[in-house]
Amino acid sequence: MREAALWISGAAFAFLATAGAFLLLANLGTGPSERNLTPNPRPSESDPTLELTLNEDRLASLKALPGQELRVGVRNAGGEDISDIHLVLEVSSENTALSDARYYRKTIDELPARGFTTVPFYLDLSSPEITASGSPSALSPDPPRKIIEVRAMTPGGVSAIKTAIMPG
Amino acid sequence: MRWGWAALLAAALLLVGGCLHSSEETSIPPLPAAGEGVDPGLGPEAQPLSSGPGYKGSPSWSPQGSRIAFTVDGYVVDRPVGTGDTRRWTTKDFVAEEAEWTSDGSLVIFGVASGPAPTHEVSRSVYRARSGEGSLGIKEVATDVLAMSPGPGGEGLIVALQTSAYQSELAMLRDSGAVDRIYTSTVGGRVTGLSLSPDGRRAVLAVRVPGARTSFELHVFGLRAGTHRTIARLGEGLEIFGAPQWTKKGICYVVGKEEAPGGGGTEPLYDLHSVTPDSGVPESTPGVGEDFVASSIRVSPDGGRLAVIGRLNPKAPINLYVLDLAAQDFEAVTTNENMEIKTGPDDLAWSPGGKSIAIVARGILSEEPHVRAAPKEALLEDFYNLYEVPVGGPEAGR
Repeated sequence: MREAALWISGAAFAFLATAGAFLLLANLGTGPSERNLTPNPRPSESDPTLELTLNEDRLASLKALPGQELRVGVRNAGGEDISDIHLVLEVSSENTALSDARYYRKTIDELPARGFTTVPFYLDLSSPEITASGSPSALSPDPPRKIIEVRAMTPGGVSAIKTAIMPG
Repeated sequence: MRWGWAALLAAALLLVGGCLHSSEETSIPPLPAAGEGVDPGLGPEAQPLSSGPGYKGSPSWSPQGSRIAFTVDGYVVDRPVGTGDTRRWTTKDFVAEEAEWTSDGSLVIFGVASGPAPTHEVSRSVYRARSGEGSLGIKEVATDVLAMSPGPGGEGLIVALQTSAYQSELAMLRDSGAVDRIYTSTVGGRVTGLSLSPDGRRAVLAVRVPGARTSFELHVFGLRAGTHRTIARLGEGLEIFGAPQWTKKGICYVVGKEEAPGGGGTEPLYDLHSVTPDSGVPESTPGVGEDFVASSIRVSPDGGRLAVIGRLNPKAPINLYVLDLAAQDFEAVTTNENMEIKTGPDDLAWSPGGKSIAIVARGILSEEPHVRAAPKEALLEDFYNLYEVPVGGPEAGR
C-alpha cells in the first residue's frame, strides 16, 4: 500500500514538475515578444533600405499628353545587394468614380548596396473621354487632379512607396 | 509520504507561478485609424474619419453613432467610426447629394441614379438602400423630390415633392419607402430645404416663390393638421441657403445676398438670421457677431445648439463654431491652419449624442506637384476628407 502511494505521488510529482517547467519556460519565452507586439505598420511606412525619389521639377513639367517621360530614382540604402525590385507605377484620377487608372511596370534585376539608379517610365497622362452619362465629377467645382503612385517591392518583402499629386 | 506531499505542493506552486504573468492585463492596442495622431490642420482634437482621394460630402452618423455614411464623387459609402472597411452602397455612376440613415441598417439617398449631375432646377429622386440586401441593391421610392428630412423621431422620411413648376406638396414616407401620408395642402413655390421642429410636429420650409427676381419665404407646416402658413418673406435678391434649422430658440437660417455694386467682387455674403414662428420678424442671430459670414448650419439633436461653419469676418479663415442658443455663447471648435473646410449645406453633421460634429476639409490646393511617402489611400489633407470634431456643451456628458 505504501509503495503504491509512493509510486502515485512520484508519478504525479514528475508530471506536474514537467508541466510546471514547460509553463515557466513558455512564460519566459513570451515575455519579450509580448512587449514587442505592436500594431501592423501603417501603410505609409516604407522599408528604410529601399528609397524612391520623384523629381518635383520634372513632375511640374509633365503635360496631360501621352509619352511623358518620368524617371523614378531608386536607392538601396542598405548594406546588402537587392535583387528583383519590381516597380509598379499607377496613374489615376482624384475622381474615384472614374475607372481610368493606367499601370506601368518595370523590374530592376540587381541594385548593389548603397547603389542608386533611375528607371524611365513613359506615361500617358491624357485624360480619358468622359461620356455625358458618367461625369459625376461635375459635383466637384475643381477639375480632378492626376495622382502618380509608385511602389517598389522585392520577393524578400522589402518595399517603398511614393505618391505624387499633380496640380489640376 | 511527507516527501510526496511536499513534492505535490511544490509542483502546484510551479503550476500557479507558470500561469501567472506580469503583463497578462496588457492589451494589444488596435491599429490606428488612417492619419491618427496627425494634426490635420483643424486643431489637435479633430480626428480623421476617412482618407484618400475623392470628393467627399454629406456626412451622416448612423442612429447608434457607430458608423458614418457620406458621398464620394457622387456614390455613397459608409464605414465604422473607428477602424474598419469602407462599404459602398451605390454604383459609381450614381449622383447622390445627401444620404440619411433611417435605421442602423438602411439609408435613404437623395439624388439621381446616374450622371450627369443635375442642376438646381431639376428635381431628384429618393432611393432606399439596406445593408443586408446584397450588392448595391437600391430602390427608388419617390420621384420629383425637391428636399427631404428624416421623419419625427428619426422614423420615416418627410419629402417635398414638385407638383408643378412653382408648386410643391409634402409627403410622409415610411422606412420601407411606402407613402404614409400625402398632404393635400400645396405650397405655392418651390421647396428648397426643410427640417423638423424639435418636437417633430411641424416642419419649416424654405420656399422659392415665383417672381421676376429671386424671392424666398419661410413656411411652417403642421404635420398633424396638414396646414401651413408663411412666417417670413425675404427681400428681393435674398435667398435662403440650405435647410432652415428649427432650434429651441426659434428657426435659424442662412441668408445669402449679393455684394453691393462696386464692392469689387461677386462673391455672395451670408448672414445667419433667426425668426420665431409666432413673431415672424427675422433678426440677426444673437451671439454670432455682426461681421460673421455664415455658410452652413445644423441644429444639435436636442435643439439647444447650432453648429455653424463660417468666418468671423470676411477675411478670417473658415472654422466650425458652436452656438449655445440659450447662453448665446459662440465658440470656435476648430483652429484652421491652411485648410479648406467645405461649406455645402449638408457638409456637417452632429453625432447622435451631440458629442461630435463631422465636417469635410482638405488642405489648400497647390499649384505645384507635391510628393508624399505614403500610398494615396492613406493621404488626408491632400483630398477632401471627413473629420470628427469633439464639442463640449450640455449634451457632451450624456
